[in-house]
Amino acid sequence: MARLRRAIILDGQDGYSGPVLIVEDELFTREIAMMMAEDWGYHPTCASDVSEALAIIRSPQHISVLFTDIYLKDDVNGGCDLAREARRLRPSLRVLYTTGNAASNTLKEQFVAGASFIPKPYSPDQLKFALENLIAH
Amino acid sequence: MTEIASSEIVETVPSALIILDKNLIITSANRAFYQTFRTSIGETEGRLIYNLGNGQWDIPALRNLLESVIPHRALVEGFEVEHDFPTIGRRTMLVNARKVLSPGDHEGSILIAIEDVSEERAARAESKRIWQLTQSIVDTIRDPLVEADMTIVIASKAFLTMFETTEAETRGRRVSDLGQHQWDVPALRNLMEKVLPEDAPIESFEIENDFPGLGRRVFNLNARKVSQPGNHAHRMLLVFEDITDRKQRERDAAMLTNEISHRIKNNLQIVVGLIAYEAKWTAAPCVQGYKAMQGRIGAIAELYDLISQSSRGPTVAVDVYLREIAKAMSASLLGGGSGIDIRIEAEALEIDSDRAVPFGLLVNELVTNAIKHAFPDGTGHIVLCIEQIGDEIELTVADDGIGTPEAALVRAPEKHGADYVAIFVRQLGGRMIAPAPQASGTIVKVRLPLIMGSPRNAEDIAA
Repeated sequence: MARLRRAIILDGQDGYSGPVLIVEDELFTREIAMMMAEDWGYHPTCASDVSEALAIIRSPQHISVLFTDIYLKDDVNGGCDLAREARRLRPSLRVLYTTGNAASNTLKEQFVAGASFIPKPYSPDQLKFALENLIAH
Repeated sequence: MTEIASSEIVETVPSALIILDKNLIITSANRAFYQTFRTSIGETEGRLIYNLGNGQWDIPALRNLLESVIPHRALVEGFEVEHDFPTIGRRTMLVNARKVLSPGDHEGSILIAIEDVSEERAARAESKRIWQLTQSIVDTIRDPLVEADMTIVIASKAFLTMFETTEAETRGRRVSDLGQHQWDVPALRNLMEKVLPEDAPIESFEIENDFPGLGRRVFNLNARKVSQPGNHAHRMLLVFEDITDRKQRERDAAMLTNEISHRIKNNLQIVVGLIAYEAKWTAAPCVQGYKAMQGRIGAIAELYDLISQSSRGPTVAVDVYLREIAKAMSASLLGGGSGIDIRIEAEALEIDSDRAVPFGLLVNELVTNAIKHAFPDGTGHIVLCIEQIGDEIELTVADDGIGTPEAALVRAPEKHGADYVAIFVRQLGGRMIAPAPQASGTIVKVRLPLIMGSPRNAEDIAA
């Protein structure tokens, strides 16, 4: 496992650029996403809601990608609000959204510039490709 | 010379003219008079006007005119007499009378011009009747409506009541100027400008706005050109249907569907997570099976978005569904930089939502098979095609890969996908079609009925 992670990190010297912050209110889904991200060599950290996530973003901790659910606890649009604030605080932060709701154009209009989206349920491969694409561009 | 000219003028004017002496005896009449009242010189001249035609001119209103008004005023114009004439029936006559004095004649004569305005008056009465009828019809319709040309001509009682306005505040105004300009929407204005000149009706134009006394409302506007019989003026009938409650019910239903869809997909995410967790500890040869399972779950999940977005009732747009499944499969199985390209050729078709899940799973199995088996070198094309043939939908999944032995689809026991294909085809009430022989690649064709009827028999399914 450690070797695989190292391989990805080394392989991505020009692409890999730091840990992923996973924001997901459903504990099992969050843990599985953390497990997968770890397996691929990212150094994930996690939060279960907007305030937890903002506390991490405001801290000096290095974050490269914000991977956030949109509907967070009772906050229907929490992920979108979080990403906007996170981008304001860290202008170079990459953002990947996910949601179980239909990805309407109205929803996508609220995304920060350059963001990506994967619908739920996402498979490990879909998440992996989405993160790789986001980091590569 | 002057006298001759006068008599000729008298003969040629279209109005009936008679000249009476001071005793109201007819001294002369013109041709128009004889024609209009179907009488002759012999029956007319030298007679007291009241005795003319068996006393048909003995009309109280005319007596009053000749005996009381003319002696004092010398001129009366536009005196209207409606009377039942025995020879010509009920008529409306417009009478102009003038006292005429000739040189040396101190008594003078009375010149009476009589114009038959019956038809004009009848047309006016008919027009008024139609107007009243239109207003009555307009007022009986519960939905507020207005009849307009450039501006409003009639507003129904329902319109005036609903928008708390009056006829005076409405008539002669443009629709866009009504109220607080709630209808002043450029798109609506453009459509309304085309209703009369291009006979282009407006169908279901929705406007949502705040209305004093009503609050926030949604109106559905329909307009069409109408013509009144015998009238060349065209008007526009504009109906305002209040669909606020219906809209709210639709929004509630959409929100509920969305909420359910959201929960289902979060639960499916947990299922995919469970599978991912199992796959992590599974030997490499078995991992593909877990991935295929994740793909199948993805195909089912796509359906919920389409159902929550669809406003067309219990059907799903097959072409849209096909594109979404293909997109999800590309992301799931191919990733970035793959040499396999999936192309969609789809007609706009609908399928009942009961069959949408097996349809999605069928497409998922066929495309997964092609991706896994057709391209050992990792490059090639897959085409997904949907078209209507008669009363059936034909699904074609074609690739330009290495080809598959025809029997392999159903015989190889380890190929669960092939077994699933048979199950899903049966569930869809469909049948496999033997494709025409081709030089390379694999083509799978499935026909399913447009509308699900009784299931086909086993022979068809196995074919």
